[in-house]
Amino acid sequence: MTERLATAPGAAQAASGPWPLRLDDVTVRYPNGTVALRNVSLSVAPGEMVSVVGLSGSGKSTLIRTLNGLVPVTSGHVEVGPYAVDELRGRRLRQLRGSVGMIFQGFNLADRTSVYNNVLVGRFSHTPTWRTLLGLVGHDDRDVVMAALDSVGMLEKVWGRAGALSGGQKQRVAIARALSQEPRVMLADEPVASLDPPTAHAVMSDLRRINSERGLTVLVNLHLMDLARQYTTRMIGLRGGELVYDGPAAPADDAVFEEIYGRPIQARDTLERPS
Amino acid sequence: MTTLPVPRRPRSWPRVAAVVAVIAAITAVTVTPALGGIRVDLGAIARNWHYGAHHIAQMTHLDFSILPRTAKPLLETLEMAVVGAAVAAALALPLSLWAARPTNPGPSRRAVRAVLNVVRSVPDLVYATLLVAMVGVGVLPGVLTLVLFDLGVVVKLVSEAIDSADSSYMEAGHAAGGTQTQINRLTAAPQAWPAYASQVLYSLELNVRISAVLGLVGAGGIGRLIDEVRGFYRYGALAVIILEILVVVIAIEVASNVLRKRLR
Amino acid sequence: MTATLPATTRVVTAPARPSRLAVRAAQLVAGAVVLAALVHLRIGWSDLAALPGALGHYLVLMFAHPNWAKLPYALQQTWVSVQMAWVGALLGVVVSTILGIPAAQGVSPLWVRLPLRGLFAVLRAVPEVIIAIVILTVTGLTPFTGALALTIGGIGTHGKWTYETIEAVPTGTAEAVRAAGGTLLEVARWGLWPAAAPELMSLALYRFEINVRTSAILGLIGVGGVGDLLTGYTQYRQWDAVGVLVIVVVVVTMLIDAASGAIRRRIMGGARTRVVDRTV
Repeated sequence: MTERLATAPGAAQAASGPWPLRLDDVTVRYPNGTVALRNVSLSVAPGEMVSVVGLSGSGKSTLIRTLNGLVPVTSGHVEVGPYAVDELRGRRLRQLRGSVGMIFQGFNLADRTSVYNNVLVGRFSHTPTWRTLLGLVGHDDRDVVMAALDSVGMLEKVWGRAGALSGGQKQRVAIARALSQEPRVMLADEPVASLDPPTAHAVMSDLRRINSERGLTVLVNLHLMDLARQYTTRMIGLRGGELVYDGPAAPADDAVFEEIYGRPIQARDTLERPS
Repeated sequence: MTTLPVPRRPRSWPRVAAVVAVIAAITAVTVTPALGGIRVDLGAIARNWHYGAHHIAQMTHLDFSILPRTAKPLLETLEMAVVGAAVAAALALPLSLWAARPTNPGPSRRAVRAVLNVVRSVPDLVYATLLVAMVGVGVLPGVLTLVLFDLGVVVKLVSEAIDSADSSYMEAGHAAGGTQTQINRLTAAPQAWPAYASQVLYSLELNVRISAVLGLVGAGGIGRLIDEVRGFYRYGALAVIILEILVVVIAIEVASNVLRKRLR
Repeated sequence: MTATLPATTRVVTAPARPSRLAVRAAQLVAGAVVLAALVHLRIGWSDLAALPGALGHYLVLMFAHPNWAKLPYALQQTWVSVQMAWVGALLGVVVSTILGIPAAQGVSPLWVRLPLRGLFAVLRAVPEVIIAIVILTVTGLTPFTGALALTIGGIGTHGKWTYETIEAVPTGTAEAVRAAGGTLLEVARWGLWPAAAPELMSLALYRFEINVRTSAILGLIGVGGVGDLLTGYTQYRQWDAVGVLVIVVVVVTMLIDAASGAIRRRIMGGARTRVVDRTV
């Protein structure tokens, strides 16, 4: 057994900066027998912006969730920064998750409460439970929340109800939530699948800007070819739980995507309808 | 002309007939004294009808002289209802979160639900009778009864509402590194608020009805006066008290409905 | 890209929090009312402090050595209570349906609907115990009185549920039947009944569940059944018998709830009973 790198978080903070990601021969089998990922190995350098492309059922959702432990791996090894994710439990797992921001296709906001509270969710791992229970929010937490909302242009909506926002606005709030964690890694699981084309572009631009301005490592699940080519530098293709492509995104042509999808290209594989 | 291959028509009447038969059988057993059933004594209604008519006639002669004596007990009834609902409301929110699956995926949930099912199975006046025998006559057993009854009703309904509501926001809370308590406090509780507030208001309505009769077993409120008036066959006064209770209950129900509609 | 993460906190001027004066005022008023009620009740605080001890003491008396000799009698009386509940539910549902359908909007004119709804509201507001007290002069201290009281009280609640359910039926089917030339009876049978029937039957069963609890209470004023037994045992402070009685009541109620719940789920055809919004 090779030595695991699970060092103390203090060491991670000392070496500030984005974290690398690594999957080593990872297989995920669900309790009902489905094998969602099969011997997948990949390595993402700190600060890279990577897209994971594939049809639904290809294992994209599972792969992204192995990185913060939302899905346990059946075999293999997952490393995020200094953490060996597959070995973490309880408090240490929550610490790791605190440094990994994640946004979802369904936004996953609490619609009945304010935008402020939703973004405050990002401060969970930085706040002791008793403070959250009593509703005590420190000044620095508040400042972080406001700054995060400001950076996605949603500051003026801070006190409004999250449910009253449009899809694009909700996703922005979700991004603010992730940013308020002060993360080292940003994960996005099909962030634009529920959005119309202009909004989708806006959100993808935000992600790219986060990657370039803050230098965060970004991993995005996409099923649309043109978005992957336009916004990410490196692309990973999954088909049937197996890795079938790992290379630069821009030069990937239709033939590459047909290989990844396992079928000819269709109109619904691109965001913009070909004119 | 060729005949069409019509599929066989499913027969639903055997099942309906079976259901009707079961209902009829149970009813037959319950009303036949020879089988241990209760006596549906329609003859008694025929025989004693004039008693009833007499008393009902007495009741239409409303005896308002009882009114001053009802003021304090009626106020006590309302106060018990309010305090009972308030205490139950405070306890019900954490208990509801504890009893619902999204907010408490662990094993303690089943224990909480089991205890609550037992608490719900005891009728309110049974609690009152027992508590009066334990702690003595007064308003304390009454308030305790109301709290127990309300918890049984409110926690079940609110936890069921939480169970059936969309809880996808939970995944975001977990992904951000939050504990279950943090997630519940900041996101689950506000999501449950409309159901919770609605049920608390409803428990207040129920409380007023129940606390009106708690006094019959000595647990405070206007019930004791009802017992006294009945004992002296003062049906006119009884009618006045019933009217008062009616007015209060309906007033609270209307107010509660208005508030609950605004919460939606 | 190896740039270090820039400092994320440059202090931003956030918009002011909207005034929540109305909410705060409402909370204050509610809190004041509760506090005033609490103070005025003059609950003996020493009694409250002694409460856990007293409860513990009696719980031990009741359940440490239950008097199982009383079990057959307890079961017999519980059966009487259940019978009361059943007859009360059956009669109540029949009458409620007859009265409740005309009370629905779209079935009758206002001068029919309003008095009916008023009747339901009044019957709902009067606790069943009081109804029993009133009618026992006619029918005596018998379980039949209890069943009648449950019937009359149940008409109030179940009548309301009936017309609410009918009103909640989507109008499409009824419109279609009417458009095809159906009579009022046909509209009711084919347009309303199929949609409303499952929920009405489910509510009828729920009515029975509630009645089982109420019948125990009616016993306390002497109409028979479990409540009767309870009054006797507690008056004579036979705690071991009380314990058995409580156990029987809890077990029987839970069994009936479970069976009724399962049947209701099957009727509604789904995993969850939709009676979430309805309470006792």
